[in-house]
Amino acid sequence: MALLSVRDLAVQFVTRKATVRAVNGISFDLEAGATLGIVGESGCGKSVSSLAMLGILPKPAGRVTRGEVDFDGVDLLKLPDSQLRQVRGKDIAMIFQDPMTSLNPVLTIGRQITESLRKHLDMSKDEAKKEAVSLLGRVGIPAPEDRIKDFPHQFSGGMRQRVMIAMAISCRPKILIADEPTTALDVTIQAQILDLLKHLVAEENMALILITHDLGVVAGTCERTNVMYAGRFVESATTSSLFARPRHPYTLGLLKSVPRLDAARKEKLEPIGGTPLSMTQDIEGCAFAPRCIYATDKSREETPELARIDSDDHLVACWNPVPDEDLPHVEVVATQAEGRTAR
Amino acid sequence: MSVAEAEAKELRLEQPSSLGRDALERFRHNKAALVGVAVILLLVLVAIFAPLIAPYGPRQQVGALDSSDPEGPSSEHLMGLDEQGRDEFSRVVYGARLSLLVGLVSVTFGLTFGLILGALAGYFGGWIDTAIMRVMDIMLSIPGLLLAIGLVTLLGRGLIQIMCAVGITTIPIFARLLRGAILAQRESDYVLAARSVGVPGGRLLMIHILPNALAPVIVQATLAMATAIIDVAGLSFLGLGPADPGFPEWGKMLADNASRLERAAHLVIFPGAAVVISVLGLNLIGDGLRESIDPKLRS
Amino acid sequence: MLNYALRRVILTIPILLGLSIIVFAFVRALPGGPAIALLGERGTEEQEEQIEEELGLDQPVYVQYGRYMSNVLSGDLGTSTRTRQPIVEELKLKFPATFELSIAAMFFAILIGVPLGFVAAKRYQGVLDNTSLVLSLIGISFPVFFLALLLKYIFSIKMGLLPTIGRLDITRSLEHPTNFYVLDSIIAGDTAALGDSLRHLVLPAVALGTIPLAIVARITRAAVLDVTSEDYVRTARAKGLDPRVIDRRHVLKNALLPVITIIGLQTGLLLTGAILTETVFAWPGVGSWMLEAIRFRDYAVLQGGILFFAVLIVFVNLLVDLSYAFLNPRIRYQ
Repeated sequence: MALLSVRDLAVQFVTRKATVRAVNGISFDLEAGATLGIVGESGCGKSVSSLAMLGILPKPAGRVTRGEVDFDGVDLLKLPDSQLRQVRGKDIAMIFQDPMTSLNPVLTIGRQITESLRKHLDMSKDEAKKEAVSLLGRVGIPAPEDRIKDFPHQFSGGMRQRVMIAMAISCRPKILIADEPTTALDVTIQAQILDLLKHLVAEENMALILITHDLGVVAGTCERTNVMYAGRFVESATTSSLFARPRHPYTLGLLKSVPRLDAARKEKLEPIGGTPLSMTQDIEGCAFAPRCIYATDKSREETPELARIDSDDHLVACWNPVPDEDLPHVEVVATQAEGRTAR
Repeated sequence: MSVAEAEAKELRLEQPSSLGRDALERFRHNKAALVGVAVILLLVLVAIFAPLIAPYGPRQQVGALDSSDPEGPSSEHLMGLDEQGRDEFSRVVYGARLSLLVGLVSVTFGLTFGLILGALAGYFGGWIDTAIMRVMDIMLSIPGLLLAIGLVTLLGRGLIQIMCAVGITTIPIFARLLRGAILAQRESDYVLAARSVGVPGGRLLMIHILPNALAPVIVQATLAMATAIIDVAGLSFLGLGPADPGFPEWGKMLADNASRLERAAHLVIFPGAAVVISVLGLNLIGDGLRESIDPKLRS
Repeated sequence: MLNYALRRVILTIPILLGLSIIVFAFVRALPGGPAIALLGERGTEEQEEQIEEELGLDQPVYVQYGRYMSNVLSGDLGTSTRTRQPIVEELKLKFPATFELSIAAMFFAILIGVPLGFVAAKRYQGVLDNTSLVLSLIGISFPVFFLALLLKYIFSIKMGLLPTIGRLDITRSLEHPTNFYVLDSIIAGDTAALGDSLRHLVLPAVALGTIPLAIVARITRAAVLDVTSEDYVRTARAKGLDPRVIDRRHVLKNALLPVITIIGLQTGLLLTGAILTETVFAWPGVGSWMLEAIRFRDYAVLQGGILFFAVLIVFVNLLVDLSYAFLNPRIRYQ
């Protein structure tokens, strides 16, 4: 049985003015030690789904309207908060986008790490302190015994994200959810942080859900990638298949709009036309249809469900998947997890 | 004391929001603010129609002079008689005129000078800006009432003097506000665009910058009126108001009767309640306006 | 931190200078001239001329200012025209009373205001929240002296629960080494006197502290609401921490920073409030002293009093800024 099994999760935000349907039914499985990427534009619901799984949606507006989140056989959505707290931070940990605002400015980072250790693992003050120093060392912070007394503002952006990672893995979680972990960082630091994550995943046999809007980020890090649009998964495949054969027009659009070092000089970047959906109305038919060059009447009337295409583990939700002649010619470099190349 | 004084230290100098249609919409739905409007409307009506509403004149003798035990409220005299035998209700009603006058005059005074100073500081910048702002800072470091007391001691006692003194204490608030608005707008795109087309500075100020600064100024003015009414009452209480003993100013009425609390509480309670209600109305409006133009300020 | 502290302290000097100039100018601008400050309005022309010569009022302005400043800096604030006592002596006597009252008022404001603001924020837009907002607005709409009179009327005159005036029952005697009656009764081990002095403190403290309470409650509420929506609170929740721990260690620790500065900034309010409140309760502090100075045209006292108040406020503001810098790690370790 999979470590984490999400079925038809749907989340809404209800305010006086409108109801926003942030997540409209997503399902996926995650095995122990597996790496999954969730890719999509801002506002497509990718972060919200993780918050919903952990029970930390902004209240009172956010609510889960349906679905199951089975973790180790228990439906997290049905647990009272007091029990969920045992899972949060201990079995499932999460790191967020902006490490400057995600760390408490008035507590030392040592304190912020030890508080999890002392709460979840019942460590004494000294034990926790020692462990915190060791954790900081593992994530690559020099002179950890000294830095443990420092405050967040005394660290650089990349260092802060390392601190967040140290905090997250402190209780050896089975799953780490990383929500846009590199978006707020410099490109060079991005690579370092992703490497660190990959390293830790291998060391701890920890499952990783990497949420991002940047396809380049999942390319080297995740075995599988799901593409999300308007609160739904529109494509799900191994990362190499996704890059080689992006069958959903949106995925193709995303790929084409990313600048590539090996692209011919004359090739222009193609942005995806139109604007992202406002999620307040009920959507009829395929949500991407208004922006899709392959859209037909059926697209506008009936909502496509995920279905197999190309192979057993490549799914796409589309009535008019991208035909072969339009697929990009992509060379996908080996991901460490996969260990093979594909052309 | 009004919200103005409390917020003066945390004046936000962000991009001022405009008084658009949304703002009015939001204001209309703000129940508290509407209550405030109702109260102030009532106050204005009472002030205007005082001669019709009040059964007697404010200095008219009806009962015993120099009474040691003024009559309490009765069916004849809704608020009783005061220590000089005058109808308290009439005096309170006429007092509304004075309070409104006081609020309007002092704030207009402060607003005018404050805006001029703020405009000069914001527009010219440099040493003019520094000089003006230093003076404003020093003025702000003396608590309003203290400053007012000092000023009244200089100017002498009397209603006009109190109004000027209180008006002067509001100058720094408006100066800072306008200067902030100007500074924020100076770098904004549309101003730079207008400049590049050759729109002269003065026109720029008048037509582009001032209207956008209008919204927070109106909010501050409302709140400053509330402070003004309280401060003037306070100054009267301290004996710095008009020397005329029959003067129906609420603060003075409170001051004159503070010692009679035991025997004639009604002479304290009614004028006091009148002050509270008027100030509350203004505070409700000011608060409501502030929320309407910038809803995120609330939370 | 040291850098910041030094800079901040140095910044105070021009403000103090400016204040001294204003107060000096104030006296010279008095109708009738500075001689009035010493003689009161009842001096004769000859006396005035004599004084003017004595004080070197015929000297150029800057010389006079110099003399004035050297006096002030050596602790001489002049003499009261009414009582003929040195102003500094009277201050020493009366200030503790006002200080005691102010502390009690602030205590009251914080004890009730902070929890109120906190709970209001936690139950955002609930009944308590809306009620507290309305109550805050009503609170700041009351002139202090009216509130004082009202409280006195209800609790003292009508209900007889609390004493009407003064700091202590007139029949009681107590040694006053510190002039803080509460402290003095503790020192003397006199529990009856302690109870009595506390009872006398209640009404004036509540009257004086109500406006600060309204402000503190509002600011606390705003700060807690702000902090609760911050990312690091989300992180704390994601770590599975107990909600009470989150409130204490993450929310309050951050939210109370601005609240502390606001509390410090209430000093001006308290001092002016004291002037209006003390007289209602015949509280023998600086406030009622100033009131009498106004009534009796004791300009020397007014001048000295205003200067004292203003300087006090400047120093308290300085203290508040420095405390904030100390408490906020972002400034302290930079």
